[in-house]
Amino acid sequence: MIDWTSFLLVAAVSIGAAALVVALFAAGLRLLSVEAHRGVALTGAYACFAVAAAAVLFGIWLMVPAFHA
Amino acid sequence: MAATLIVVLVIVLAVFFDFTNGFHDTANAMATPIATGALRPKVAVAVAAVLNLVGAFLSTAVATTISGGIIREGPGGVAITPSMIFAGLIGAVIWNLVTWLRGFPSSSSHALFGGLVGAAIVGAGFESVDFGVLLTKVIFPALLAPLVAGVAGFAATRLAYRITRLPVEKSHRSGFRVGQIFTSSMVALAHGTNDAQKTMGVITLTLIAGGALPTGSAPPFWVVLVCAVAIAAGTYSGGWRIIQTLGSGLTDIKATQGFAAEASTAATVLASSHLGFALSTTQVASGSIMGAGLGRRGGRIRWGTAGRIVIAWFVTLPASAAVGALCELVARFGIAGVVIDAVAGLAVIVAIFAVSRRRTANTTKALEVDVALNSVMTRQERRAAEKKRGDEILAARRRLSDESSLFELGQESSR
Repeated sequence: MIDWTSFLLVAAVSIGAAALVVALFAAGLRLLSVEAHRGVALTGAYACFAVAAAAVLFGIWLMVPAFHA
Repeated sequence: MAATLIVVLVIVLAVFFDFTNGFHDTANAMATPIATGALRPKVAVAVAAVLNLVGAFLSTAVATTISGGIIREGPGGVAITPSMIFAGLIGAVIWNLVTWLRGFPSSSSHALFGGLVGAAIVGAGFESVDFGVLLTKVIFPALLAPLVAGVAGFAATRLAYRITRLPVEKSHRSGFRVGQIFTSSMVALAHGTNDAQKTMGVITLTLIAGGALPTGSAPPFWVVLVCAVAIAAGTYSGGWRIIQTLGSGLTDIKATQGFAAEASTAATVLASSHLGFALSTTQVASGSIMGAGLGRRGGRIRWGTAGRIVIAWFVTLPASAAVGALCELVARFGIAGVVIDAVAGLAVIVAIFAVSRRRTANTTKALEVDVALNSVMTRQERRAAEKKRGDEILAARRRLSDESSLFELGQESSR
């Protein structure tokens, strides 16, 4: 019958990964609006964008079988 | 001679199926960035087409089954004859075109499975179909895909709004539009790596069945090339009706929601294809958009449209199975039957395109203006006018999907 374990795994990973990437990007945008400690806030913002970009690269790595098969 | 004719017909039809697969699924990736003005429509479909082309080359696997185990094919089971594949493909193509005409995002893979199931029932009997696999691979995932993606889209949208909520300062939510370009591109690339492969598999297995290739061969380069180009061309031609349904028919999408929705689609599609529980990209994308629609305070879903889409998902399999079964019934009369199928199928396809020309999706009025202007303007003036109108539409979309604070809006109007 239906493989509930792998379904729950897919559901958890999907929801977690989507939330993580969106939270990172949103946090980056939020930090762009911080007026105090401008330098620190901007560094934090770019760090958030960089981690989100790394997640995108990981996605591409997953998509191309030549990289991991 | 007759066998060669069927193999050639199957290849031609499979390539056309790949094309319909492309334009049916452009919307999954590009409906939300077009709706929020993150990308111009033409640019969006061009980006999606290039990524589908690249994706098709990046991922080619040795095809082992056509139907993914739904039909008991291979050793110990039934042999899927080229005429069954042909009948199944006609069912899939016609159902894809009917749903496109009505603007429904429906799964192309499910249409293909449906067509093959119908043809196999007529060609090899009821016991040739594994209904257990059908239930676990098609029916249940169709219920679960929008659920998972919907929850992901809802949670991501809530989170994005919560994090960027600002009482006084200038908000940067319009920055989500930049993010949308990346998340949508991910979805388009994933589509290319997944879907072009299916047609390559169908063509390769038909060539193997026809004796042109040894058993277990990888798709020849020309097959990869033709499939990649067909899916890219289909994507570039843009299924505008489906883009309209997903971009503005289900819910009014803002940049924040669009970003959250496409991020959820990309995450769910990648997770499902790597953790062993296959979900349909189309159903995932529709679910994410609905979830994102519910996630914004004041966001509303048009449940009538959503309900019709879900009905279309469940009708997809039986409807294409019925067409596939009918075609296989005719094809059993030998080569004459196959030719009758081919001619009738072509007639239906042409008829659907004729109907689509008569009811052009929402652009009829714009076209009338164009025709009137074309008669008095030079080409350069016409291009300038088109560009101006395009810019106006883009600006309007961005304004509607923007959530910058009211202070900024005031500044804009006083400028």
